[in-house]
Amino acid sequence: MSLAIIDAREWQRVFDLRTGAGVEEINPLLKMVMDIQARRPYPGDLDDAGNRWVTDTALDLIAGYDPSLVYLTYARQFFVGRYSVLTESEWAGMVSSVFEEVNRFVARSGFTPVIVGTGGMIPFVDFIDVTRLDGLVLSTHWSARYAGLHDGSRRDLQGLAALPEIERIVPRHEFRSLFGEYPGDDSRIPEYLLVARPGHMFRTVGGAFRKVRRVPAPAYAIPLAAESGVASSITDIRRLVVESLRERKIALIVVEGLGMDDFPWPHQRCENGRGWFYYEPGDAQYLTLTTGRHQVFEYPTGYKYFDEDAEKKEYPLSGYFTSVPADTIASGLGVRSVAVGNRSMLMHMAPGADISIECFARNLFNQGTMAVIHRMDKK
Amino acid sequence: MRCNFCEWRCELGNGSPGVCRMYVEEGGVIRERFPYRWSSCIPSRVESVPFYHAWPGSRCLVIGTAGCNFRCRYCSNSFVAKQDPAMVQDGMIELTPPQLIRKAKQLGCHSIVFNVNEPAVSLPSLLELAVEARAAGMPMGCLTNAYTTEESTELLGTVFSFFNIGLKGLSDAFNRDYIGIPSAEPVLRNIRRLAALGHVEVTTPVIESANDGELEEIARFLADVDPEIPWHVFRLLPEDEMKEARYPNIDAIAGALEKIRGYLPHVYFHNFVGSDWVNTLCPGCGATVIERFSLGCGGDRLRSFDCRGNECPSCGRKIRLHGEKVPWNAGEVLP
Repeated sequence: MSLAIIDAREWQRVFDLRTGAGVEEINPLLKMVMDIQARRPYPGDLDDAGNRWVTDTALDLIAGYDPSLVYLTYARQFFVGRYSVLTESEWAGMVSSVFEEVNRFVARSGFTPVIVGTGGMIPFVDFIDVTRLDGLVLSTHWSARYAGLHDGSRRDLQGLAALPEIERIVPRHEFRSLFGEYPGDDSRIPEYLLVARPGHMFRTVGGAFRKVRRVPAPAYAIPLAAESGVASSITDIRRLVVESLRERKIALIVVEGLGMDDFPWPHQRCENGRGWFYYEPGDAQYLTLTTGRHQVFEYPTGYKYFDEDAEKKEYPLSGYFTSVPADTIASGLGVRSVAVGNRSMLMHMAPGADISIECFARNLFNQGTMAVIHRMDKK
Repeated sequence: MRCNFCEWRCELGNGSPGVCRMYVEEGGVIRERFPYRWSSCIPSRVESVPFYHAWPGSRCLVIGTAGCNFRCRYCSNSFVAKQDPAMVQDGMIELTPPQLIRKAKQLGCHSIVFNVNEPAVSLPSLLELAVEARAAGMPMGCLTNAYTTEESTELLGTVFSFFNIGLKGLSDAFNRDYIGIPSAEPVLRNIRRLAALGHVEVTTPVIESANDGELEEIARFLADVDPEIPWHVFRLLPEDEMKEARYPNIDAIAGALEKIRGYLPHVYFHNFVGSDWVNTLCPGCGATVIERFSLGCGGDRLRSFDCRGNECPSCGRKIRLHGEKVPWNAGEVLP
């Protein structure tokens, strides 16, 4: 049973992650994690100290659990960049500040880093308004470039094809075939995937309102900084990390919002998709990184996530996730692992680490932290 | 010319848009500045609004506009409610009432709930939407601060059949300092009136050392209106001008609410993840008749609905419910 510990500041509760049922029994490992959460309240997605929290929490967790693999995400600059007007020097300061945190973590922990940028950001240009079509267009998980069209009419398709801001309209079968045979259930894949040109973003019903300033830049390749080896594709990073773990303790560090152009350390070029498709920061990119396989269709952009939100849905604390993803990087390892990051939901779902601590934030509202203990049987 | 939608009764003229900045006077008529423009149009669980006693388990289309007639220091939606509405129009979704109803159906929604900001700032659009919603058999509900005039309160009563009214505090000092209004008297008056017109739930955010001393007085007022009014006590989520404020102590507030349940049985305490105080207990026998899971401002959800119709399965006592349990994927109500 995976356990979830909610810390809402000066108040903690433990739940069965799958069912949401309360758990009363507190063992020493839980106590250690709960103490860290109590000591390390999350400052907020946009707060100056948001990335410092990642480092501090991870160091505490290493001291308490002694893992061999650490998975970290630093995401503050992605949130700030998305919603704030920043000058170039302010952005540069933010990049410098996140790498100070990375440096501090590496120096204090002694772990060998493998650092991945999820792709850069560019100024938001304009919306593509798709709210008044005959069909229904949905964009999910903060995506800017992609949206899914459901029940579109011929008129919809003709109108969309005439829009210069749309780069391509991809039928379901074509999208599926881009990644070869997909053995899973494809009912979540929208009938058409709409692809926006750089800088644009779909205005859809179902989206929450906040003024966007930057969106993900084209990221056919992402930066990878690793002294321990080479990985030419995002699907190859898992192999690199697992191989390196045989000789040393590894920290796989994900830095959100940074691409090939603004990544400050020497880095390799790493493919971030296939053909015309590249990953934006989010669950698909994270799961591809941690499983070593393309994971485009598990929760595809623009699917009707809300149809699955019935009262009996499992994993109530895990957003749209309906199960713990299988065969993730840490889930099959014999060595101990932890994950810490300020990207909610993904930290306990994507790497499959024994213990994770993440912010519990939704739409930037800071509600505390959540730790998840997937297993406690490792020596 | 005076705008009579809310108690500010702003003098509009010479281009002045009043406190909410959503109306102007043109040719002797008060006109909406941004009709049919929605800041939100998103399917959601009705419990997450929150409505705990209206159409349990259903999917609603949450809509909102821009602007507000309050200036709450802790506003969670200040990025749209407190901004100049003219400055945020480029992000709005423009849908006429028939188009909005069509989208609600496509999204499988059973009802439409106005949330995000104050409906009184967009009443003409909502009156038109209500006509379309009625024709489609789709109930409408709202969150409101109920700072409306008596005449527009009657209008609200024609648009919406279920309300969650924000009663922020009672004292003039609190209302002046934290909300930006001189008094809560109009709100209290309108709670009574709307409770006579439709289904009412009430929400009060608790701010330590500001309004936490008023909880019992608020509860007595609500019990006097109707002892079965559901009351949502919210732990303040420090936002906006109160970002640095302390998160209120959960155990202290929970303790203070315990004795209130003796005369106001449907008291809930939430707006934080994993709250223990979100289930409905039968006022007759104490059995748990509706279970929920709290995800804080991420939205609460129904876990199990154990009433038989609107009765306690253990003792048969009636449980206050507006509408019946609606399966999540039931889609819209048919006329």
